[in-house]
Amino acid sequence: MASLKRSIERDPLAANISSKVYVRSTKSGKVQKIVREVYLRQDIPCSSKLCRSCLTTAPKDAAGRTIPFVLSEDPAGTSAFPQGHYLVPDTNALLSAMDLFEQSSAFYDVVILQIVLEELRNRSLPLYNRLIGLTKSEDKRFYVFFNEFRLETHVARGDGESVNDRNDRAVRKAVAWYAEHLGRIKGKKAPAIVMLSNDRDNLRKARQEGLHACSLGGYVKQLKDGDRLLDMIPDTEDREIVKDKRPGDNLYPEYFTISKMMTGVKSGLLHQGIFGVSPYNYLEGSIRVPAFPKALLVLGRENINRAVDGDLVVIEVLPKDQWKEPSTQVIEEEAVTKNENPDTEASEDFISEKERKALQEDVKRTHSKTTEGHAQPTARVVGVAKRNWRQYVGHIDQSSISQSGQQGRKQDSVFVIPMDKKIPKIRLRTRQVAELLGKRILVTIDSWDRSSRHPSGHFVRSLGELETKAAETEALLLEYDVQYRPFPKTVLDCLPKEGHDWKVPASLEDPGWKDREDLRGLLICSIDPIGCQDIDDALHCKPLPNGNLEVGVHIADVSHFVKPGNAMDTEASIRGTTVYLVDKRIDMLPMLLGTDLCSLKPYVERYAFSVLWEMTPDANIVNSRFTKSVIKSREAFSYEQAQLRVDDVSQQDELTLSIRSLLALSRKLKQKRMDAGALSLSSPEVKVQMESETSDPIDVKTKEHLDTMSLVEEFMLLANTSVAAKIYDAFPQTAILRRHAAPPKTNFDELSNQLRVKRGLELSVESSRALADSLDACVDPKEPFFNTLIRVMATRCMMSAEYFCSGTQAYPEFRHYGLASEIYTHFTSPIRRYADLVAHRQLAAAIEYEAVHPSVRSRGRLEAVCKNINVRHRNAQLAGRASIAYYVGQALRGKATEEDGFVMKVFSNGFVVLVPRFGIESLIRLRDLAEQEPQATYDAETYTLTAEGSREIKVELFQKVRVKVTDQKDETTGKRGVKMELVKTL
Amino acid sequence: MPLDTSAYSLALLRVDGRRWNELRRMHAQIRTQAAADGSSYLEMGHTKVMCVVTGPSEPGPRRSAVGASGGTGVGGGSGEAAQAEVAVSIVIAGFSSVDRKRTARGDKRILEMQSTISNALAGSLHTHLYPHSAINISLHVLSQDGSLLAALINAATLACVDAGIPMTDYVAACTAGSTSTYAAGDEAADPLLDLNQQEEQELPGLTVATLGESDRVAVLVCESRVQVSRLEGMLAVAVDGCKQVREILDRVVRDKGRRMVQEGTIEKGVGVNDMEID
Repeated sequence: MASLKRSIERDPLAANISSKVYVRSTKSGKVQKIVREVYLRQDIPCSSKLCRSCLTTAPKDAAGRTIPFVLSEDPAGTSAFPQGHYLVPDTNALLSAMDLFEQSSAFYDVVILQIVLEELRNRSLPLYNRLIGLTKSEDKRFYVFFNEFRLETHVARGDGESVNDRNDRAVRKAVAWYAEHLGRIKGKKAPAIVMLSNDRDNLRKARQEGLHACSLGGYVKQLKDGDRLLDMIPDTEDREIVKDKRPGDNLYPEYFTISKMMTGVKSGLLHQGIFGVSPYNYLEGSIRVPAFPKALLVLGRENINRAVDGDLVVIEVLPKDQWKEPSTQVIEEEAVTKNENPDTEASEDFISEKERKALQEDVKRTHSKTTEGHAQPTARVVGVAKRNWRQYVGHIDQSSISQSGQQGRKQDSVFVIPMDKKIPKIRLRTRQVAELLGKRILVTIDSWDRSSRHPSGHFVRSLGELETKAAETEALLLEYDVQYRPFPKTVLDCLPKEGHDWKVPASLEDPGWKDREDLRGLLICSIDPIGCQDIDDALHCKPLPNGNLEVGVHIADVSHFVKPGNAMDTEASIRGTTVYLVDKRIDMLPMLLGTDLCSLKPYVERYAFSVLWEMTPDANIVNSRFTKSVIKSREAFSYEQAQLRVDDVSQQDELTLSIRSLLALSRKLKQKRMDAGALSLSSPEVKVQMESETSDPIDVKTKEHLDTMSLVEEFMLLANTSVAAKIYDAFPQTAILRRHAAPPKTNFDELSNQLRVKRGLELSVESSRALADSLDACVDPKEPFFNTLIRVMATRCMMSAEYFCSGTQAYPEFRHYGLASEIYTHFTSPIRRYADLVAHRQLAAAIEYEAVHPSVRSRGRLEAVCKNINVRHRNAQLAGRASIAYYVGQALRGKATEEDGFVMKVFSNGFVVLVPRFGIESLIRLRDLAEQEPQATYDAETYTLTAEGSREIKVELFQKVRVKVTDQKDETTGKRGVKMELVKTL
Repeated sequence: MPLDTSAYSLALLRVDGRRWNELRRMHAQIRTQAAADGSSYLEMGHTKVMCVVTGPSEPGPRRSAVGASGGTGVGGGSGEAAQAEVAVSIVIAGFSSVDRKRTARGDKRILEMQSTISNALAGSLHTHLYPHSAINISLHVLSQDGSLLAALINAATLACVDAGIPMTDYVAACTAGSTSTYAAGDEAADPLLDLNQQEEQELPGLTVATLGESDRVAVLVCESRVQVSRLEGMLAVAVDGCKQVREILDRVVRDKGRRMVQEGTIEKGVGVNDMEID
């Protein structure tokens, strides 16, 4: 019997083969042991331009190209390493101070070891992606050295050695190899190889082995602007000492172990969801979980247990006797925790007296009443599945600064108050308090220990003085994660070479004309807001001999210029949408395309993607078709111009006539939509008027609604619906669509109860049709704005519409609730929305204009795209609104006006007023009513707040009030906003 | 967790440290079971398979139902045929993959592999020399780490050589893939030789078997979606890999032969076709 046993020595390759064994646990909790082969080699280059020997063995790809070497032959030095140096950070250095490595003043020529990259990927995917971004950037000179695959630097895990120790050893070995390898170069003095680590043990061992090793802090001090950079290092170094604190100091309950959470969630005892903080009360959070129809409440600091808005948390539902109503009180962090000291917080009681009082009043109230039906289930956070911390914009709380900190450069603890009210104060240790005071700064949260009341973080950079336009705009963009950097060169390289001189080719033989219809003869025009430069859409209407009408919607053919998969496409898919701020537009595509080559400007020929219908005069579609085309717009109207032209009876030219027939058709289309149950919702919209030269805001106007606006809107909706049906037909699994889910009934509970109690009106929410009808019935003959107010409030009860990939939902779920359409997509604004661009590509493939590109039919990829653009879309809206709010505040600066407002929400210690004139809402607290806070009783049944004592007043929901609007700098957020004072009730 | 296949572009290194055109370590033995007519054991990286060949022998009663190929070049009914029937059966051990699981008997994937191997070998074996008989090839998968079909074909070839069945040439197989996914649409993607499990899961790939030193393709299986433009590069790399595999197989056979001569099992200078199996 032959033996299968073979001796290792006989195999010539054996010395170069190792295997990697690791254990992983799957999502279902199973433990798997994975064995991977590792082939060790000696042709992995050091990538230093100094090295000749590696050049000869440098690897080639299939096309025979080698990757150019990265590390500079003349690297920068520091005071300790005047001969120049290469840096080798370990994992925790990158984990804790990635911001440092992204600095442009230092941190060049960095060797990233494979083991570090792997560890980083395990610990934090966002950081990993940032690091990959750094390695791709040419000027930062980051090189990934695959130490695990190089024979000399491969390290096998020893007996009883922990994984961390082994990895640290691997880092040291790679550092030693680099030093030895570069030391062999003759002629020039080799740069020092410096290991960066925050692990003391690792540093000590490295020094023992004769390597250059520095802690992050120690290294940064050697740099020129070291002091500034020092703040970007989180205080983990100090924490090790602090950790010896007595265990009794822990303020928060401990989190469950991961396995306990996992089994709990699986068995249904625990629930998992995204934690959201109430905008009015920082001690109240809510979580939606599938198991409960209503959102679960999380009340109080202890129950919230270090969760921050946006985190994915695991919660435990509290017993029924602890269920409560949502608080009717406004609790602002600033007011309650004003006097806390960032240095000595552990010594105080965990829940301060004030907080306790605020909460107790609440409890009292719920106990005193027998509102069984109103109680909402409550829960407490037992663990965080995934933090969703990002960088936060804020400013330093002036009152938290100690006197000594303002002078010296001693490290000092201060509080940063984030702009977003839902984020708790962040404790920051910095040496530059004096410089940072009164500035907008960017910070991140590093950790939140059980023993610390507030999370601690570190400083990233300063955006500039508070209330300067540049700082505030950048703050806004950062806060909403808008990509506002200029387009990189790789993107601009994708633009047509001709630049602004690009023209539709004259010869019909040109490949650009292939399968394009010549629609230059049609009377096409565009209607847009004043000053619109990126004209996405244009329309035409032509009577047909049979009495029907031919209607065409022509959309800019962006997909002709943006080819899938190139750098421009990738950038656009990341940006997702163009963001419109009051004074600024952050484009999704480079200017050249957006405002010129794609834009359907008048009098010039442009490529377009056309949707053409034959319609009866009653606006019934006889047939529809789609084609790529070339058009020549006759005129670019503004809404106002178009309206004037339509209204002017003397205008009888063909273009005006066609607009009139479009208008007639659009009215019929709208009526059909309304009959089907489309909702007409409302949000207060205003426009800020700017002075043309200084672009300072001077006035605020509410937007007027013109017939021509709904003309354009109707045809765009129609085009979107037609395209959605077509691409779904062609790609049932991968069409990109947009849906608007029906809101859960419970969303309207509050509003319908309010309407019943206050006005005796019924809100029926069975279907969108019923809702539309009952909203129409919500009128107050004396107050025309009442209906709009209700619509504004109803809009807030809705779900938000979302993009999705058709394979992920069943057909009935495709429905767009608000538009009452079975299927819908976005097609009409490809210049400013990425979803439309994808829809264009899919439609082009559906009409067999071009071959379908893999990226638009890979479901996984489309799902990722949808997920991203949903977030971007939402952020863009929020950023736009925040920008308007900021400018409204600026426009009101120094002015005081009296306006009418309406009460939208009543709390037991204040109420919210909406002022339609400015489209703003603001909270008026009881204590703002009079010098001495009046006593008040709040009747939750009738939504009435009655104040007595220093000021006698009765405020009800939906009431019309007269308020004085002034501007005020909000101390908590540092934003200039409006402040309202109640003048009288009406 | 180690890096995934997207890290290739950083330093032109694959997840296990190989370059784009490198095979994994391949190790094979023949005549591992003296009692069988022919046997072999083969490793391609961590994919480990063994093969036992019985026959050519009289076909058993209605055995053709399971695993027998009804493919072209093979006789229709057993016993009646002018050519030997090549019946392949594959057993995948429950412990061969990370998750211990049983494979069902009528698993479609296994059936397909059986028929692929049967057809490929029937093209190279001189089945016409053995009318009314059957060649039973039993393959056992001990460990899986990608390129399973290729490993099975190679092991079956070796076992047939060991069984002394006349054949035109080795049927040598290997896989090829591409460094970026289909959806990435990256035209400049490098082709990859000999995929392991992780690469097979994440990237497009195909299995190719060629006949001996020629460029004649005996098997070409591609089950993933890939752009046509990348296919040519992948095929070229795979065919080149098959030639390297053939060299390795040939060396295994020659080494074994030399050793048998040294041990005195057979006489030196005897032609392969006359080799007696004891």
